[in-house]
Amino acid sequence: MTGFRIPNGGLIDRDTELNFKFDGKSYTGHQGDTLASALIANGVHLMGRSFKYHRPRGVISAGASEPNALVELREGGRKEANTRATMVELYDGLAARSQNRWPSLNFDVGAVTSLASSIFVAGFYYKTFMWPKSFWEKIYEPLIRKAAGLGTASKEADPDAYEKSYTHCDLLVIGSGPSGLMATLTAARSGARVILADEGSRLGGSLLFENEEIAGQSGYDWAQTVLAELTSLPNVTLMPRTTIFGWFDGNVFGALERVNDHVAVPAPFEPRQRYWRVHAKRAVLAAGAEERPLVFGGNDVPGVMLASAMRHYSNRYAAAAGKSIAVFANNDSAQRTARDMQSHGVNVAAMIDTRKGGRILNVKGGKGVSYIETPVGKIPCDAVAMSGGWSPIVNLMCHRGAKPVWNEAIAGFTPPDVGAEFTAIGSAAGHMLLSECLADGARAGTMKGRVPATPKCRDEAFAIQPFWWVKESTGKAFIDYQNDATAKDLPLAAREGYGHVELAKRYTTTGMATDQGKLGNVNAIAILAEASGKTIAEMGTTTFRPFYTPVSFGAFAGPFIGHHFQPVRKTPLHDWAVEQGAVFVETGLWMRSSWFPKSGEDWLASASREVKSTRASVGLCDVSTLGKIDIQGKDAGVFLDRLYCNTFSTLSIGKARYGLMLREDGIVFDDGTTSRLAEDHYVMTTTTANAARVMSHIEFCHQVHWPELDVQYVSVTEQWAQMAVAGPKARATLQKLVDKLTLNDDTVPYLAAKEITIMGGVESRLFRISFSGEHAYELAVPADYGNAVARAIMQAGAEFNIVPYGVEALSMMRIEKGHVAGGELNGTTTAGDLGLGKMMSTKKDFIGRKMASRDGLTDPARQCVVGIKPVDRTMKMRSGGHLLKQGDPPSMQADQGYICSVAWSPMLNMWLGLALLSNGRVRHGEIVKVFDGLRGHHYFAEICDPVHFDPKNERLHA
Amino acid sequence: MLRTSALAGVAKTGRFGADKGSPGVKLSLAQPASIIMVIARKGKAKALKEALAAIKKTTVQWAGPDQYYVYNTPYTDLKNKLENLASVSDQSHGRVMISIRGPKARAVLAKGTPVDLHEAEFPIGKSALTQMAHVSVHLTRTGDDEFTLSVFRGFSESFWEWLSSQAGEFGYQVS
Repeated sequence: MTGFRIPNGGLIDRDTELNFKFDGKSYTGHQGDTLASALIANGVHLMGRSFKYHRPRGVISAGASEPNALVELREGGRKEANTRATMVELYDGLAARSQNRWPSLNFDVGAVTSLASSIFVAGFYYKTFMWPKSFWEKIYEPLIRKAAGLGTASKEADPDAYEKSYTHCDLLVIGSGPSGLMATLTAARSGARVILADEGSRLGGSLLFENEEIAGQSGYDWAQTVLAELTSLPNVTLMPRTTIFGWFDGNVFGALERVNDHVAVPAPFEPRQRYWRVHAKRAVLAAGAEERPLVFGGNDVPGVMLASAMRHYSNRYAAAAGKSIAVFANNDSAQRTARDMQSHGVNVAAMIDTRKGGRILNVKGGKGVSYIETPVGKIPCDAVAMSGGWSPIVNLMCHRGAKPVWNEAIAGFTPPDVGAEFTAIGSAAGHMLLSECLADGARAGTMKGRVPATPKCRDEAFAIQPFWWVKESTGKAFIDYQNDATAKDLPLAAREGYGHVELAKRYTTTGMATDQGKLGNVNAIAILAEASGKTIAEMGTTTFRPFYTPVSFGAFAGPFIGHHFQPVRKTPLHDWAVEQGAVFVETGLWMRSSWFPKSGEDWLASASREVKSTRASVGLCDVSTLGKIDIQGKDAGVFLDRLYCNTFSTLSIGKARYGLMLREDGIVFDDGTTSRLAEDHYVMTTTTANAARVMSHIEFCHQVHWPELDVQYVSVTEQWAQMAVAGPKARATLQKLVDKLTLNDDTVPYLAAKEITIMGGVESRLFRISFSGEHAYELAVPADYGNAVARAIMQAGAEFNIVPYGVEALSMMRIEKGHVAGGELNGTTTAGDLGLGKMMSTKKDFIGRKMASRDGLTDPARQCVVGIKPVDRTMKMRSGGHLLKQGDPPSMQADQGYICSVAWSPMLNMWLGLALLSNGRVRHGEIVKVFDGLRGHHYFAEICDPVHFDPKNERLHA
Repeated sequence: MLRTSALAGVAKTGRFGADKGSPGVKLSLAQPASIIMVIARKGKAKALKEALAAIKKTTVQWAGPDQYYVYNTPYTDLKNKLENLASVSDQSHGRVMISIRGPKARAVLAKGTPVDLHEAEFPIGKSALTQMAHVSVHLTRTGDDEFTLSVFRGFSESFWEWLSSQAGEFGYQVS
């Protein structure tokens, strides 16, 4: 053996040489290696520093449970911190850096904390950083975080794509070892839709590295035969590199597929990772069991690793952990390890079995193993294989609250019974013999009928006698490697009153690192149980929660980032508005045209000009975003009478009416005009903001309150492009487009709602309604004609100098007119507060009627809508300012109300507003103090009628 | 007057995405002349079903309990035919319809919908109301590897951007 690469065998491609860098130094490995195996093959064991003591650390495991070999992988925007070197597939050009060290891995300044470790005991932070209180946030916490921090995140944007996807199956098999393969094969042969998912880069689980014999061939060959058959079956989906990270309601599993983590840069159009939601009719957990470390002095020296990991590295990756090893175990795993390592030419210097009284007291060495201390003397070696027994990987089955069960026979926790939808098999169920695994798999994979026979296999002996802690050790014996929790911390926690397993976890930080205690938790529980005088079963486990292993935020976000964070909703007049130079504003998901600046204009200048032109002549505004709901059926009128506080059953066909809808509690919910197109056909409009909410409300009311009504409803918001044409020249403009009909006060009177045709046959709806206070119409045309009709209106209005106007101008005009909108319909106001109390019918029942009559909602001292304008007419007002009586200091007691909406009034040349003021209707003319604490000033304002402009509404009919 | 689709200028024709031989999916606009929402009047669900079955040269798709989308029969004709049986609303301009077909159609759609599209669960002719990329979608299987997607007009551009980007890894053709 040259170096630590075993000369033959293993699942690596020796013809492919891959170059990679670790901490800036160049190495080579082979296709099939992991970063960890390639480093071991290069004789590198030191891969990181621990979190608290900054102790040198090497790899412990060969899989997802790895607590020590955490690296920063890749660079720039692709950098990923806390990546487990054991899970990183080697690729050419890979670059990784170790973490938790400064200035370098070999010489780390922080390691001095190790010398002072007697003060860094469990609960150290809680005990030390308590005083003074104010220091915590500003001084202690930032310093601790800086000293502690694992890897660092990149501040650059991740250039790669992430995806989400759903999938469904009859049977989900989690884990592709012997149990999982057998289950998949059995189910697949019966024609069931099966998904086999495994976190490993290749399917096969333990058969990829353990020497087994199945059906007269090696375990590896048997797995290849099975996989070949599975690959040929259309009802089977094989998902390597896919971690099932959580089990959720409805037997839904979360999964992360590492689609392109094994290459430097994903191929074009391919995602780096894909987040799956797997809907499984039934699932089996075949995740296997995790080997546990033994707890003894120096069990963290680089070169000390799990026995199964040592076999894994040598058998699968042809990477020898050492040239002369010691094996330390409490179970039969020891023999297997010695046999395998000897077959690779590795010397086994010592076999130490706790069942025969053997102990390793301490491992000695700094950045690598030099020798072990035993009761019978020192034994030189360069690596130690340890096995403290096996913990079935129960995590997923406990994600919905069930607790695992202590099993004395295997000295491990086995999964709870969570019902037939999700069952555990093989060593995940605590069945440790290969023959049991195959039998379990065949049984679990049988969808119906008889369970098929399983192939013959050779069983390795499994026997264990629990052994938890070499108490004679003088060196530190670690339980949780990543968080540097030692065996002594747990009895300390028990002594100090934190003996409950959940408290001890928080107190000692055992199991709180990124590996979530996959290796150490059972050892911790056993030691804590002993210290507390309880059995392990009584002590129980902490709570298992998703995620089994960390999942990147990118995977959760998927493609919904940046511009695609949420969908963009465009109106049918969007292109027209773009042509007119609109500036858009996001209103919910809608893009609404906000103002239409001419060169040099800011928003205020633009919107002011739009208002003036509209009021002087004519303007066109896109109002397509208002919700439109078709309401039909024999009982449509009755239905509307109950939804609205005013009456609609009496509305004439061809007429529109303003409607006010209350919530059940009597507060105003929404408003809008609703028109009657036929005896049994109304079209309702809602505010833009509440469109979806009103639709849900309607569905709820019909389905729950009044299912007996013959009424049907559907959103037609998107069917219609709707344009407000407002101003004294609105009628003359529209007349040019309308087919045949002459527009006048007889054919289209105020509040008419007519179905007409325009421009030679386009079926349209014309409503004579006004939000601006002008003589105005709303014209609705089928959406695909929207842009063309808007252009035609602009052309027709050209002789009147028509302008497009946006929501800013719309808002100015409605405030000038005192029309209430979102600022006033704010979930606190009654119809009376809005000055619309008379709309509430006394002749019928409607939603909100009873509750609206409560004392508190009819109190005359309630805040109601008033107009407000600054005494100093040149002052700019802003909404949010609170109103006080002139002499009163600002206080909650003295508060009289607040300003809801403000706008510059181009017509009155001043800032105007609408406010909610206590008993405001009788206070018109009063001067109040406006206290604006946010902007740190106050001023005086005059209360007035909310209708600031055209108080007699003469312009409506102009 | 000529209609202008919301996807005019957005759904550009051509070959896009990864080049892996023949395209994994083909996308095209599949806007019918009319899309009419039909909802049964109270107690008329069965009669409506029969009446719809009797209408020739039209396509009917389930769109909710006792609700259907009816294609290619003009609004007024349908309103007359279904008088007293159903409430009828014109959605011809309110929805944008897209066809997706090809061997990877299911894989692309699975990136958006939790509905199981396996042929055993979702056979030809079946429709579902679902959500994809935060947009409500009326989804129908129209062939072995062929589906139509119907979305609100205002979301169609956003939806198209999502759909086509998700098809990228398989290569796609827009016609």
